[in-house]
Amino acid sequence: MTAQEIKDIFYNGLWKQNTGLVQLLGLCPLLAVSSSVVNAVSLGLATTLVMAFSSAAIAPIRNYVPNEIRIPVFILIIAVLVTVIQYEMNAYMYSLYVVLGIFIPLIVTNCIVLARIEAFASKNTATASALDGMAMGLGLTAVLMVLGGIREIFGHGTLLSGIDMALGESAKSLVITVIPDYHGFLLAILPPGAFIVLGLLIATRNWLTLRAERKAKAQQTASQTPQAAIA
Amino acid sequence: MRRTLAKASLHSALNLLFFAVLGTIVLSSTYLLTRDTIAQSVETEKLKLIAQIVPQDSYDNNIVQSTLDLPPDELLGTEETSIGYRATLKGEPSVVVLQPVAPDGYSGKIFLIVAIRSNGEVSGVRVVSHHETPGLGDYIEVAKNPWIKQFDGQSLTNHTAQDWQVKKDGGKFDSMAGATITPRAVVKAVHKAVQYFAKHRDQLLTQAPPSSPDKSGREGVKEKTK
Amino acid sequence: MSAFFSPFISKPEGVSLIMLKVLLALIPGIALYVWFFGSAILISITLASLTALGTEALMLKLRNRPISPFLKDNSALLTAWLLALSIPPLAPWWLVVVGTAFAISISKHLYGGLGNNPFNPAMIGYAVLIISFPLQMTHWITPHGLGQVELGFFDQLDYIFRGILPDGLKLDAVTMATPLDTLKTQLHMYGNINEIMNLPIYGHLAGQGSEWVATGFLLGGLYLLATRLISWHIPVAYLGTLFITAGLFHLADPAHYVTPLFHWFSGAAMIGAFFILTDPVSGPTTHKGKLIFAAGAGFITYLIRVFGGFPDGMAFATLLMNICVPLIDAYTQPKVFGKKGRLSDKNGGQA
Repeated sequence: MTAQEIKDIFYNGLWKQNTGLVQLLGLCPLLAVSSSVVNAVSLGLATTLVMAFSSAAIAPIRNYVPNEIRIPVFILIIAVLVTVIQYEMNAYMYSLYVVLGIFIPLIVTNCIVLARIEAFASKNTATASALDGMAMGLGLTAVLMVLGGIREIFGHGTLLSGIDMALGESAKSLVITVIPDYHGFLLAILPPGAFIVLGLLIATRNWLTLRAERKAKAQQTASQTPQAAIA
Repeated sequence: MRRTLAKASLHSALNLLFFAVLGTIVLSSTYLLTRDTIAQSVETEKLKLIAQIVPQDSYDNNIVQSTLDLPPDELLGTEETSIGYRATLKGEPSVVVLQPVAPDGYSGKIFLIVAIRSNGEVSGVRVVSHHETPGLGDYIEVAKNPWIKQFDGQSLTNHTAQDWQVKKDGGKFDSMAGATITPRAVVKAVHKAVQYFAKHRDQLLTQAPPSSPDKSGREGVKEKTK
Repeated sequence: MSAFFSPFISKPEGVSLIMLKVLLALIPGIALYVWFFGSAILISITLASLTALGTEALMLKLRNRPISPFLKDNSALLTAWLLALSIPPLAPWWLVVVGTAFAISISKHLYGGLGNNPFNPAMIGYAVLIISFPLQMTHWITPHGLGQVELGFFDQLDYIFRGILPDGLKLDAVTMATPLDTLKTQLHMYGNINEIMNLPIYGHLAGQGSEWVATGFLLGGLYLLATRLISWHIPVAYLGTLFITAGLFHLADPAHYVTPLFHWFSGAAMIGAFFILTDPVSGPTTHKGKLIFAAGAGFITYLIRVFGGFPDGMAFATLLMNICVPLIDAYTQPKVFGKKGRLSDKNGGQA
């Protein structure tokens, strides 16, 4: 793999084809658990792990699995990986496991996982597929982190609350109180807040893309016809 | 033609079987590797909640394993057998933990956990789960408001039946203007739990705990598979 | 885009006059409000109006639209007044500001500004507030003559802006739950209407004081009808459905369901029937559609009031029926001969 290929994969996953903002796949857990940064990032990372490992596991066997049964086999592999992660979280991050609840096993049904396997891993090498799964997952995690951050600041006035659930009691000091004595804007924490903030994030992304395109166009015309630019 | 079809089917079936077996092996080994830690986590988590309301210097036994099966009772608001816990210090019973239910919250039942000292004083109360309106009735959660700590140290001797009400109704317990149904329900349920303790004091303190460590160990595993 | 502006600029002037008349029609209700509950409502109306105009100007600037013609169309003011009238007058200042700013920026301008908002902005503002700050939304002023203490104008100002009450006073002493809310909690605890209606907070038909405020809005509504600013369809269908539904329940079990007149003169029913549901932008366009729209809202209001978790159902009923408007319009649009695409035709006309 060339450096350019790797760069393309990551550019695709993090920005161009971002699952949360562009493909809009797997939004159900995204909206449900993004009420705080810790919850959001934890589920994002769990999804990333599943995506990276399942893509890496499926790419090398893609030529040995008959086409007719490929979906059951893929789902089986994803389900195994998800369950392993579920066991590990249950054992070592119990309170986080309780908070994320049903959304960990539901990663199996998250369409983005199967979508990347069908679209990418079943046509590419194991290394490229693993990187693609990771990039896509990290793109999702990044959106979840911003979404969770905005909702947490508006809803509770804090950041990173509940970090002790993931990193142990000693991490409690990492919690940041952004706005002291905050009344709490419950709408941000409740489901409608997730939709509103996601909508605003998508709008921001579209605005940035449009602006970049306009700039590129302006530059292009400027370099082609210098006079026009002056006029 | 038929032969190739059969062959392809067999091939697919074997393929699927292979992955199913592989998956089962991976899952079983993870399960075996994490089983003990999970059971332990479940227990620590339970203990964490109890430790909030039972002072650490008042017991030296494993509370989570010292359980009492309590039959349904109107005073506990329970319709099924609930579990109580008993804390002992040097073999002497010191605190009993009950799990009463307040049936009349604004939006359904409120599940509580109440620790009562052997002298009938409340050692602490926590809300386990509820469906009260967020931002309105949820100040009964200790994470949101210290309201629930008002019960610490209260008993039937230092509070009359009249006192066991919210201030708005002439009692001794605070409530927030605009949200009185929830605290009313909680005060009532805690009051009843204290009465339950007074009524069944001897049984709660002296009855031999029915469960052995082996049984509760298995319970922990059962919990996880739910 | 700027080339398409000119037709819009003439529009706000007509809108401006209509909106001004609607604002005038609210005055009898507001006057009675002040008479029974004190002047705090004027503070929140002023606060909401200023926030609405400020947000409107900011959003127009961000959207590169001309500011002054739109600012003068009075529609933002109407949103502000309706919102201020539906939240407790003693609500802290930031509550009014957050609700109004949300209503104007998110539920009006993000959908394309005046004429394009699918939901009634004032009701969105209300919904956001009741979901986010339910506690502050329960602090209603006790009507004149009922409470032990009454706050003077400056005491009210002090409470709204700094959250401070005069020495020794508790919020409980100057506020109470609304008549609808009290009815619900009392039914929950004791459950007999006849006893509950003897409580001092109830007057002739509904809540002491608030029944007169509702009458004031009814008068203003009749003025709107008389000047043909609104058609009869929405108020009649809304109040009619509310009356019939409440009447059926009341007849079946008078001990647990209050009279239909109680529902008419409680909460936001009157102001809703004449001022909120009649918003031409978020409502349906045909007469038949208006009947369906308002009847649905009346029915949902009753359901939420009696069986739901919120004290009043007007706002959520309006929003739920707002969602149905495109569907209602599609089915009630008169058939035009020789045309197939009714829907696309209508959308073209609106845009």
